[in-house]
Amino acid sequence: MSAVSPSPSILLTSTKPSNETHKTIIIPFIKKPTIPTIQCEFRSFENNSSSYQNLIADSSNRIHIIFKPPSSSPLTTASSMDLSIKHSKRVCLFYCSEMKDLAERIASASDSIELRGITWRTFEDGFPNLFISNAHGIRGQRVAFLASFSSPGVIFEQLSIIYALPKLFVSSFTLVLPFFPTGTFERMEEEGDVATAFTLARILSNIPISRGGPTSLVIFDIHALQVCLKSSFVTVLSCVFIFVFVFVILIFAKYYRFNGFVLQERFYFGDNILPCFESGIPLLLNRLQKLPDSDNIAIAFPDDGAWKRFHKQLQHFPTIVCIKVREGDQRIVRLKEGDPKGRHVVIVDDLVQSGGTLLECQKVLANHGATKISAYVTHGIFPNSTWERFKHDAGGNPENGMTYFWITDSCPRTVKQVENKSPFEILSLAAPIAAALQV
Amino acid sequence: MEKPKKKQVLLFHCVEAEELALKVAAQSDLIQLQSINWRSFDDGFPNLFINNAQDIRGHHVAFLASFSSPAVIFEQLSVIYALPRLFTASFTLVLPFFPTGSFERMEEEGDVATAFTLARMLSSVPISRGGPTSLVVYDIHALQERFYFGDTLLPLFETGIPLLKQRLHQLPESDKIVVAFPDDGAWKRFHKLLDHFPMVVCTKVREGDKRIVRLKEGDCAGCHVVIVDDLVQSGGTLIECQKVLAAHGAAKVSAYVTHAVFPKRSWERFLHKNDGVHLLLDNGFVPTYCESHRQQSSF
Repeated sequence: MSAVSPSPSILLTSTKPSNETHKTIIIPFIKKPTIPTIQCEFRSFENNSSSYQNLIADSSNRIHIIFKPPSSSPLTTASSMDLSIKHSKRVCLFYCSEMKDLAERIASASDSIELRGITWRTFEDGFPNLFISNAHGIRGQRVAFLASFSSPGVIFEQLSIIYALPKLFVSSFTLVLPFFPTGTFERMEEEGDVATAFTLARILSNIPISRGGPTSLVIFDIHALQVCLKSSFVTVLSCVFIFVFVFVILIFAKYYRFNGFVLQERFYFGDNILPCFESGIPLLLNRLQKLPDSDNIAIAFPDDGAWKRFHKQLQHFPTIVCIKVREGDQRIVRLKEGDPKGRHVVIVDDLVQSGGTLLECQKVLANHGATKISAYVTHGIFPNSTWERFKHDAGGNPENGMTYFWITDSCPRTVKQVENKSPFEILSLAAPIAAALQV
Repeated sequence: MEKPKKKQVLLFHCVEAEELALKVAAQSDLIQLQSINWRSFDDGFPNLFINNAQDIRGHHVAFLASFSSPAVIFEQLSVIYALPRLFTASFTLVLPFFPTGSFERMEEEGDVATAFTLARMLSSVPISRGGPTSLVVYDIHALQERFYFGDTLLPLFETGIPLLKQRLHQLPESDKIVVAFPDDGAWKRFHKLLDHFPMVVCTKVREGDKRIVRLKEGDCAGCHVVIVDDLVQSGGTLIECQKVLAAHGAAKVSAYVTHAVFPKRSWERFLHKNDGVHLLLDNGFVPTYCESHRQQSSF
C-alpha cells in the first residue's frame, strides 16, 4: 500500500507549530583540513507574510543573497498552507521515463505544475535521438526536469535534455535529482581511487545558466562524502568574517529552518549551480504521528554518520545509536547509546544498498528488547532484488521481520518491485518536490 | 636549433580500445601502457582504480577513449576527469571517433543536439600542470563541431586520409585510381588532401518523393574508383553510390571510411560478392565492431 501525500499541506518542515520562537542555527565547525564555509537557509514568517532569505557562502567566498518580497509564496509549514495557493508560480515539469509516476504525482500535488513531454528515441548506433515538444511554449516559463540516474547508461540521454532546456529562453531552470548516486562507496583512501561522485558533480556543475541565473539542483538526503580538502589562511579568515556577518543577520531573523546539509558536498559543485539539499525526514515524521503507538517510538541510527545527518530533525524522539566495532577480523554492530527496551524502534538512514547493516542493527535491537522494529531510508537502492531479505513481522518477532519499511519514490525501479509488498510502504516525495519547485 | 626532446607518454585506455592501445604502444618506445581497474559496485556504478597513480606524477599522460555507446561514457569520463589532477605534466585525451555528430541537424527548436552534450562534458575536463587538455579526434563529422569546445580544451583534429593514400599507393593500379565523394560534405572535408587524384562527386537529387544519388561531376569510366567518406552507418549511401559509379563504367569500386559504425551488423551487406564493394576500413576506430568482421574477406 503506497502512502502518497494527500495534499500540499504535508510539506517539508518539521511539525513544530509556527509560533515557536527561533532556535539557534548551529554553524558548522571549522575542522582541518576542510575548507570552512557556511551554508544556511532560513525563512522568516511574520503575520501571514513571509520573506525568504537565502544566504550562501561558497568556496569562492562570494555571498549570494536572494531576497524575495513578502508577497511571494512561502515555502512551507502547515500554518501558512492557505497562502500556498496564492502567488504560486507556474512550472513546466519535464521528466525522464523512469520517473513518470512520480512526475504525475507531483503534478497532482500542485495546481501550478504542468507536465510536459519529451520524445525519447534512439538512433541506430545507440545514441539518443531526442525532441523536446513545444519548445517555443516554454519560453519565459519556469522549467524543471525530474531526473533519475539509476545506472550509468541512462545518464547521457537525460544530460542532453538537462543541457538543452536552460538555453530555450526559459525564465529559470531547476533540476530535481532526488537521489544523487555514487556518493556511497567512495572513500578517497589512496591516490588512484576515482571518486565518481566528483564526476557527477562536475557534469552537473556544467549545466548552462539560464535567464534565471544558475540552475537550482534539488537533492534529497545526499550521502556524506569523506574527502579532505585543502584549506588556506585566506579562506579561513574570510569565513570568519562571513560567520560574523551571518550571526548578525540571524539576530534579525524571527523564524528560520535549518536545512540539513553536509559541508563537503557543497564543494563538489561549481558556482554555476545552486544545490538545494532537502530531506525526506518530514515525510517520516508525518507518518509516525499517524501510528497507533506513536508515543512509544524510539529512533535508532545505524552509525554516527546517520546520527550526524538526522538527529536534529528527530530530536523529540528518544534516540539510540549503534556503532560498528572491530572484533578480530570482523566488524560487528553494537549498541552505543540509548535503550530500545519495550519500544517500537525505527532505524533511520539516508539509503540502503543490500541491507546488511540494517539487518545487523535489527538483530542487536531485538536482542536488547525492542518489541517492534521498523526502518526508514530515503533511498531504497536494493541492487539485485536484495529487498527480499526484509520480511514482514506481523507481531512479536522483531528479530526476524520488520513492522514497516518506509522508502521514498526517489528510486523508481525499486518502487516498482516493492510496492504493495509488506513490510514496504512508499512515502512519496511529490509534495516536497512540488514545494521545492516554488522556490 | 635544437629539436624539442621527445617526450615519454604514459598511455591509459578504456577496455574496448585495448587492442588499439597495444598497437599504439608497439609503435614507439616512448609510449608505455598503463592500467586501470575497471570494476563496478552492486548498484551498477563504476568502482575504478588507477594503478600506480603516484608514479605518473610529472609524466605526460594520455587516455585512449571510445564512446561506442552512452552506457560506457560515464566510467571513462570518471577516469578522464581524475587523471589530469594526479600531478601529470600534461594530459591528452585521444578520442578517435567523436560520436553523436552525424545524425543531428538542429532543424527546429526542440531538437536536442547530443554532440553538444558530449562536447560540453569534455570541455569540463580539469586542466593539468601542462595547461588545458588536448583532445585528439579523427575526421570529426561536422566541421562546426570544432566550435563546440570551450577554451579549457585544445582540440586537435586529425585525419585518417594519409593512411588511405599509403594504401592506395600500394595497389597495382595506383595510377588508375579515381576518388569519389558521396556528397558535397565529403568533398569539402577531403578534397584538399586528395587533390592529386582525379575526382568524382555524387549528389542526392530529389525525384518526386525519393532522393536518389546521381553523379554530379567527374568521370570514372574504366577506373578503380574509391569512395571516400568520414564514416559509414548502415551503408545505404555507399551502396547507392556504388551502383551509380558502376553504371557510369567504373571497373572496380572500393570504399574508405575512417569510422565504421555499422549498427546492427550492417557491415554484412558488404561481404564480398562478385560485383560488390571492396571496403578498406580503418578498423581501430570503432573497436566494438572490429572482432566480428575482421575475419570476413573484403575488409
